[in-house]
Amino acid sequence: MRPSKVPLITLILVLVFFYLPIGFLVMNSFNKSRYASNWGGFSTYWYERLWERTDILAALGNSVKIATMASLLSMVLGTAAAFALERYKSKLQDAHRLLVTVPLVLPDILMGMSLLLLFVSFGAQLSLYTITIAHVTFCLSYVALVVQARLQDFDFNVVEAARDLGATKTQAFIKVTLPLLAPGIFAGGLLAFTLSIDDYVITYFVKGPGSDTLPTLVYSMIKKSKDLPVINALSSLMLLVTFAVVAVSQRLTRPPATPS
Amino acid sequence: MASYLRFENVTRRFGSFTAVNNVTLDIEHGETFSLLGPSGCGKTTLLRMAAGFDKPDEGRVLLDGKDITPLPPEQRPVNTVFQSYALFPHLSIRDNIAFGPKIAKWAPEKISRGVDEMLELVDLKAHADKKPSQLSGGQKQRVALARALVNKPKVLLLDEPLAALDLKLRQRLLVELDAIHDEVGITFIYVTHDQGEAMSISDRIAVMNKGVIEQVGPPVQIYEAPRTSFVAAFIGDTNFLDGKIIDCIDSRFSRCEVKGFGSIVIDNDKPVSKGDRVHLSLRPEKLIVSREQPTTKETDNAIAGKVEDVIYYGSHTRYWVRCGDWKLCAEMQHRQYQLDETPPKWGDQVWLKWHANDGFLLEQYREEDEGMLTLPDAV
Amino acid sequence: MNKERKAEILSTLPSLGWLVMFVLIPVITIFAIAFRPALPAGGIGEGWSLDALKALGDPSYPALFARTIIISGLTTLACLAAGLPAAYAMARLTPAWRSRMLLLVIVPFWTNFVIRVFAWQQILHAEGYVAKFLRSLHIIGENDRLLGNTFAVVLVSFYTYLPFAILPLFAAAEKFDFGLLDAARDLGAKAGKAFFAVFVPGIKQGIITAFLVVFIPNLGSYVVPDMVGGTGTQMIGNKIAQRNFTDRNLPEAAALSGALALLVLAPMFIRRREKTAATA
Repeated sequence: MRPSKVPLITLILVLVFFYLPIGFLVMNSFNKSRYASNWGGFSTYWYERLWERTDILAALGNSVKIATMASLLSMVLGTAAAFALERYKSKLQDAHRLLVTVPLVLPDILMGMSLLLLFVSFGAQLSLYTITIAHVTFCLSYVALVVQARLQDFDFNVVEAARDLGATKTQAFIKVTLPLLAPGIFAGGLLAFTLSIDDYVITYFVKGPGSDTLPTLVYSMIKKSKDLPVINALSSLMLLVTFAVVAVSQRLTRPPATPS
Repeated sequence: MASYLRFENVTRRFGSFTAVNNVTLDIEHGETFSLLGPSGCGKTTLLRMAAGFDKPDEGRVLLDGKDITPLPPEQRPVNTVFQSYALFPHLSIRDNIAFGPKIAKWAPEKISRGVDEMLELVDLKAHADKKPSQLSGGQKQRVALARALVNKPKVLLLDEPLAALDLKLRQRLLVELDAIHDEVGITFIYVTHDQGEAMSISDRIAVMNKGVIEQVGPPVQIYEAPRTSFVAAFIGDTNFLDGKIIDCIDSRFSRCEVKGFGSIVIDNDKPVSKGDRVHLSLRPEKLIVSREQPTTKETDNAIAGKVEDVIYYGSHTRYWVRCGDWKLCAEMQHRQYQLDETPPKWGDQVWLKWHANDGFLLEQYREEDEGMLTLPDAV
Repeated sequence: MNKERKAEILSTLPSLGWLVMFVLIPVITIFAIAFRPALPAGGIGEGWSLDALKALGDPSYPALFARTIIISGLTTLACLAAGLPAAYAMARLTPAWRSRMLLLVIVPFWTNFVIRVFAWQQILHAEGYVAKFLRSLHIIGENDRLLGNTFAVVLVSFYTYLPFAILPLFAAAEKFDFGLLDAARDLGAKAGKAFFAVFVPGIKQGIITAFLVVFIPNLGSYVVPDMVGGTGTQMIGNKIAQRNFTDRNLPEAAALSGALALLVLAPMFIRRREKTAATA
């Protein structure tokens, strides 16, 4: 039986489709010409311009600060949520589960709008803190989702084994449960970090004046059609970092070779 | 007898591994034919080539005289009962059975009649509207059978259809399967690694090993007259002896010297002459164990030994008896609970007795096949 | 209260408290503020008013809602049409290739969303290579543009959401028993027929999830129509932003958001009912 080639061809086309725009960006970042439709020769001019943009560096700093805080806080809250959801079956957990799910399905714009209205109603000053709160809110749900998936595969017999061997509840948690779940929690945190760095819509709604993150700054640059090739250079550098992180994490998480 | 399904010089390779190596096999119309062998022997690959899921690299597959090698599975008049049943989880039992007829665009009333007949045949009328997940393993197996049979295939292929079930259920379904075969009368090809299943259901068996067929024949022949050491060791259990012909007594019997054991009388089921090296397969249940020296005729063998292991199986007991350099396995049935004689125990001196034609000369012997015997000889 | 219950509440409290404060109350606030008067200066006034709700009767709104649903629907269809065969192909690969492909699908989603949309803005630009090429073949006219229309919005939405569609489809396809396709072929179905009669129903849950993760966020789409669309492709999200940031009319923005929230919740409730029906 010859399997149909259609699905495989679709998959290849999809991957080409995924990487074509990214390749286009990288190519254009080395384009001497200001216009994407004109190849003006190879140049690192835009990278030099990028280096002079202190506002971009400041926005990058904001983004990293927010993402770090948001991912750490959401790791704690999300892990606690996952444990409670997995461990207890009650009306309280049904409500809990519903609330954890809402940020996963609510369109960004509603999330941003609702938080903006909350902050405005309470007279809160829009700042990096309001952005962080917003980011923790949606990251929490993703961390809970990832950790809960790990918990479902978790063999609780090992905890009982630890207790059987004389560990207290707390010792069993710290010495057995946590190390085994650490990869899951860490994966959740990494996801939270990327989601936070990537977010534009929610940030745009809850950010105060002057508290730009990288996406909001880039967006306003695009809107003003200002220094577009600089954005290409910036994107290419961000891609490089992404690929480096992916490569390293692949190397770190590669399962040890098992005899077949 | 005319060949109905024929594999002709069929070879199938996966990379450097040859799954099926130049196999020619003729299966007759209406018979239940088993492909028996250990996993990886090529039996499933052969079946998949009959179904059309796999194509031979060399050779052809003929059905009723027609070359079906190039046909995709949907165009072949054969159907398969899959090992994992492969029932469609989103369809009811009725719709699972109706799947083939619907694809073939039968008239609606013909479909419902056909499905009802099948539900009747496999006794699942009461479950027609259930989903596969609501059925037990045995019921799923019967649905898989009905789903294949409703299409009136010329050949039904069964790929280890009972492997996922427990022993008792397996034995019951085997009887049912046999009854259904008698009722529908089409050719069944049954793939299994379980010699018991193959022996009980088949008209003929092909024993496969490493991509080739070692022997084809009815179950009795396969068991009593194994051609090779592989067949002898894979089906049932046996003892292997090797020796040299020292004397040709007459046309029927010869005397054979087994080193470190003694001289024994053998049946000339293959032509032998003085000086030949021969390999003999001797089934455990053919050996009689007794404490006293047995009375023997000219064609009987009796060897003294010491019991080294005893394992009680309920219906029978196995003894491993040390005789010179050899350790033989003997099996005794228990017909009565209160035995006249107390059975031999560990360390007892005993005699083993068998008739010359209880042993069978092998055409081909490979030392590696000793590995399949229970408690292999550890000299 | 027993010890167990106490432990449950203690471990639930941090996340539940956070979510009540920053999800439940804000969503309720949306509906509350829709009934407040707007201040001309851009704030929220005291007392109650139906002005914002009345503004929902704007004659341009039915078209706005219809457009939002159509664009989201087309995007979802495109994602399923490409995602189904792609997920199928991925699931049939060897495990090593499967994880490689999965990584390749995920990596573009790790690059910044705004930047990906920006890349498309450059590609589809009127003076870009694609437009020039299509013009030279007379597939598009001299004055036709690739940007600013429904095509551009659907294409770029398709691009940004396709990974989200492929992931649940692949997760379902990976668990799918491909022996069922053999069974269907064995029973006479051609490859295409087997795909639709057995594979597609077999990964139904994955398809529903893919539908939800593409269709629902798309209803609230804002960035894509804003960057590659035009006046004719405005979606609800753009209107909310406009009311919010341009008109500074928070109650009207809230009323519109409330309407969008109801639109979003509708398919979720349908799904919930289906789920309870399936388990019954």
